[in-house]
Amino acid sequence: MLSIKDLKASIEDGTQILKGINLEVKPGEVHAIMGPNGSGKSTLSKVIAGHPAYKVDGGSVELDGKNLLEMEINERANSGLFISTQYPTEIPGVNNVEFLKMALNSKRAYLGLPEIGDEEFKKFCEEKMQLLEMDERYRERGVNDGMSGGEKKRNEILQMAILDPKVSFLDETDSGLDIDALRIVANGINHIMSPEKAVILVTHYQRLLDYIKPTYVHVLRHGKIILSGGPELALKLEEQGYDWIEE
Amino acid sequence: MDAVTRIQQIGMPRRNNELWTFFPVAKIPAQEYAGTGTATEAAASLPDFEKLIANETDFAALLPLAKNARTMVKAIPEGANEMAMLKCNDDFGHTVLDIGKGAHVSLEILDNKVQHEIVAERFDISVGEGADVEIFFANPASTLPLRFRHFRITQAASSTVRFSNILTDSGIGRISMDCDLDGEGASFDYRSLSILDNTASMHQRLTIRHNAPNTVSTQLARNLLSGSAYASYDGMVVVGEKCTKVNSGQLVNTILLSEGASVSVKPVLKIYHDDVECTHGNTVGELDAEQMFYLVSRGIPKEAAKKMLMASFAKETFYPLPDTPAKKRLLQTLAV
Repeated sequence: MLSIKDLKASIEDGTQILKGINLEVKPGEVHAIMGPNGSGKSTLSKVIAGHPAYKVDGGSVELDGKNLLEMEINERANSGLFISTQYPTEIPGVNNVEFLKMALNSKRAYLGLPEIGDEEFKKFCEEKMQLLEMDERYRERGVNDGMSGGEKKRNEILQMAILDPKVSFLDETDSGLDIDALRIVANGINHIMSPEKAVILVTHYQRLLDYIKPTYVHVLRHGKIILSGGPELALKLEEQGYDWIEE
Repeated sequence: MDAVTRIQQIGMPRRNNELWTFFPVAKIPAQEYAGTGTATEAAASLPDFEKLIANETDFAALLPLAKNARTMVKAIPEGANEMAMLKCNDDFGHTVLDIGKGAHVSLEILDNKVQHEIVAERFDISVGEGADVEIFFANPASTLPLRFRHFRITQAASSTVRFSNILTDSGIGRISMDCDLDGEGASFDYRSLSILDNTASMHQRLTIRHNAPNTVSTQLARNLLSGSAYASYDGMVVVGEKCTKVNSGQLVNTILLSEGASVSVKPVLKIYHDDVECTHGNTVGELDAEQMFYLVSRGIPKEAAKKMLMASFAKETFYPLPDTPAKKRLLQTLAV
């Protein structure tokens, strides 16, 4: 489904952050990526999404056999990729609902489907908001505008629910969430997840993985995946940290 | 003194005149102002009108009078609640408004339909004690080659004026404003959005005089400039000697959407009292790259994302306004 092979990427000053990432994600799988700060986890998500601050030095990223790296940023999203960044950007003045509708209709246009009408979208959006226990105020607000960290993360999952991507890459979705919000967001992700989809979670803590059971856990360090294992690896990392791992 | 004589005294606009620093003065046709130049009967009947002309320093304020503009005088009675639209049907117009104490007034200024080489309008607005006035215009893009609009506003105690506009002309335009906050507690709010493309050139020159204590003025000008459009903002705030607790803020935000677009900003603060708070700021940049990325990364095409961000920047200019006809009209214009 998502196949990352020997992905290398650098920032503007030439510093290479990703030094050969390999990752195979199959439908129905949940992959957790853990690793110390500065290891390249957030960079990986941004490079896959096509963030202009990063230059791909080599390798490939394929989604269902199509090379994402050759696509425009919006095409990658419309092909089924969803990236949630650690610090969702605030866009005051762009209404949340208008933005969601525009994003959904862009995807529908890309897939050759007709636009969704106002009433139909309203109903659809309401359903997804209920799933995430979001109140009506979200409709009137600007995209992430003035939202707390937790509200932003919830808003990100609402986008994921509406856009229904094949692969979601969620970067520290659990940061800034209180216990209740963590449960709601995790339930939302589980609800959206299906045997045809896949999720990649970047996290520092086991607590998110208590709610969303990973198929695989990977350790990313110095721009490379240095260790992969099952769910038990996350528990060991929580207990012992990263120092015991030999690169 | 008549307007023609006064123009002859001050001379035609030049770049070395601080009121015209950024304006392409060469575009003003060298005309003979040899008309009668005398004030119409209506204008002449206004108190201190001759003195006003004799002290006028801005050519644009004198031009309509020098070209024999017809004067429309309107008095809005004390306590009235009035919505009105003002429209000048000639190349040159002069409007005098006398707004009574405690009146609530909403005034929209419409475009005239003339399409001549040069169009100039002057508005003299006196706002009574405690009155609440909004003045706004959001006309469709005009193709007038050269357009001047001059406003002289005097405010009595505890009066409020909100002046808002959207400027989308394709020619050369200039808004000039002299606002005198004469009464304690008066407040003046100026909001302007310029959306300019091609060779459009739009200039704003404001002088706000705080002549009484506890007066407040805010200025927010936003520019979205494409092609080789040019905008300038020359904003002066003067705080008088005994004017304690004055609060004044000026902010100009510009987004340059092309290499050829440019902006000039000149804030001037003349403060003759210590216990005041006066600020000014100016930002120039491009559309926010992170916001662009965020929208596009959700599947929205780049051009559509750009339009969304431009609309958001534009609408934010007017969001702080109260929910009045002005806000509704301005935001409606931007929704089209």
